[in-house]
Amino acid sequence: MDRNFPQELLETIQKADRAGAQAVIDAWAVGRPFHRVIPELLSPTLETFGRLWASGKDGVSLAEGYVAAKVAEDVLSRVLLDASGDGTPRPSSKGPVLVGNVEDDFHPLGRKMVAAFLRADGWEVHDLGVDVGPAQFVDRAEETGARVIGASAMMFTTAKNVAKLREEIDRRGLGNRVQLAVGGAVFKLRPELVAAFGGDGTAASALEASALFARLARRASEARGEVPA
Amino acid sequence: MKDGRPPRCISCSIFRREIEALQSSGRLDLSVDYLNSMLHMAPARLEARLGEALTEARERQADQDVVLAFGDCCSHMEAFETEPGTRRTEGINCCEIILGREAYRRLRREGAFFLMPEWALSWKKVFIGHLGLLGPCAKEFMQEMHTRLVYLDTGILPVPHATLAEASAFLGLPVEIVPVSLDALLHSLLQATHAARPHARD
Repeated sequence: MDRNFPQELLETIQKADRAGAQAVIDAWAVGRPFHRVIPELLSPTLETFGRLWASGKDGVSLAEGYVAAKVAEDVLSRVLLDASGDGTPRPSSKGPVLVGNVEDDFHPLGRKMVAAFLRADGWEVHDLGVDVGPAQFVDRAEETGARVIGASAMMFTTAKNVAKLREEIDRRGLGNRVQLAVGGAVFKLRPELVAAFGGDGTAASALEASALFARLARRASEARGEVPA
Repeated sequence: MKDGRPPRCISCSIFRREIEALQSSGRLDLSVDYLNSMLHMAPARLEARLGEALTEARERQADQDVVLAFGDCCSHMEAFETEPGTRRTEGINCCEIILGREAYRRLRREGAFFLMPEWALSWKKVFIGHLGLLGPCAKEFMQEMHTRLVYLDTGILPVPHATLAEASAFLGLPVEIVPVSLDALLHSLLQATHAARPHARD
């Protein structure tokens, strides 16, 4: 009987079992070119996991979310390693983006998970870390040419600092040309705060960040008069 | 304070021992109701319980000011703290309230994961029961996110050395014990108490 690898991988993630996930991936890779692991195994698994996560019904724990991100990182590292060694096609880049926790926010997990899933989906991610001031975000956006800044805030108190970042983007005349994606627990629970604090969009979970960043990058490209990617 | 009546306080139980020490030393004159600190792990339930506790306080004494001794621990906390006659202790969370802003920010930037005395005793419930961190995942997670566990020793309970050693081994991080005075907590409570007065007359 054929093995249902996406289901097996999902079950290891739900047990927060990173080593078990690696074993499933290794078993899948027998007789298959590894560069197909993302579209054929990782993406379908994470799509299912993302639906569970977004629904909030199955109680996705912090540990499960963390292991899902680590599995994505492990897979991407191996794909990139293979590509550097044997001429296997390297995943094309979707362009530079920034992620960081806003000023006074010291909760890195969500941001790290977003960074992992964005990288796995082909974005060149510049991770600025925690407690990042508005000027630092925008300086780096200008340096890297990032069309999207992903700002993370867990609580209402720190989410207010997203408004300062919005002001800085606009003060430098970059409104629309640099789009502001926002995320974190408070935005999930109070989606009205996204617009209230100047965000251009949010995602229901870290797994949906790549689709959000793609939409926002397209908007930024249009505002810049570039052909959308 | 209306007619000389001190405000009522609704506090997270994380501060219970410390507030009781301030009360018994005569530095704080405040009637306090406590909500279980484990509600922090279920913010929606915390929000509901806090709403109920505020309603109960208002029913007992409609015009009494209320001080909330909490961090920004649920998504609508600011709606509670902007109700007439209500103020919250200043600080993002209990650790900032007890440490003060500068010490909190410095330690967080250094990668500290804080353990308040009450939570240190319940670390398994938090990490395993609520967060699902088990086996190698627990160490990987904590070592990626933090540099050390910082036990905030408020001097009320004996430092639980054996418990901290067990947590350290399980989570793969060293433990630092940081003595903390109750001054920042007292200041925060008194500030909220005084701030509630003009607020009530608006």
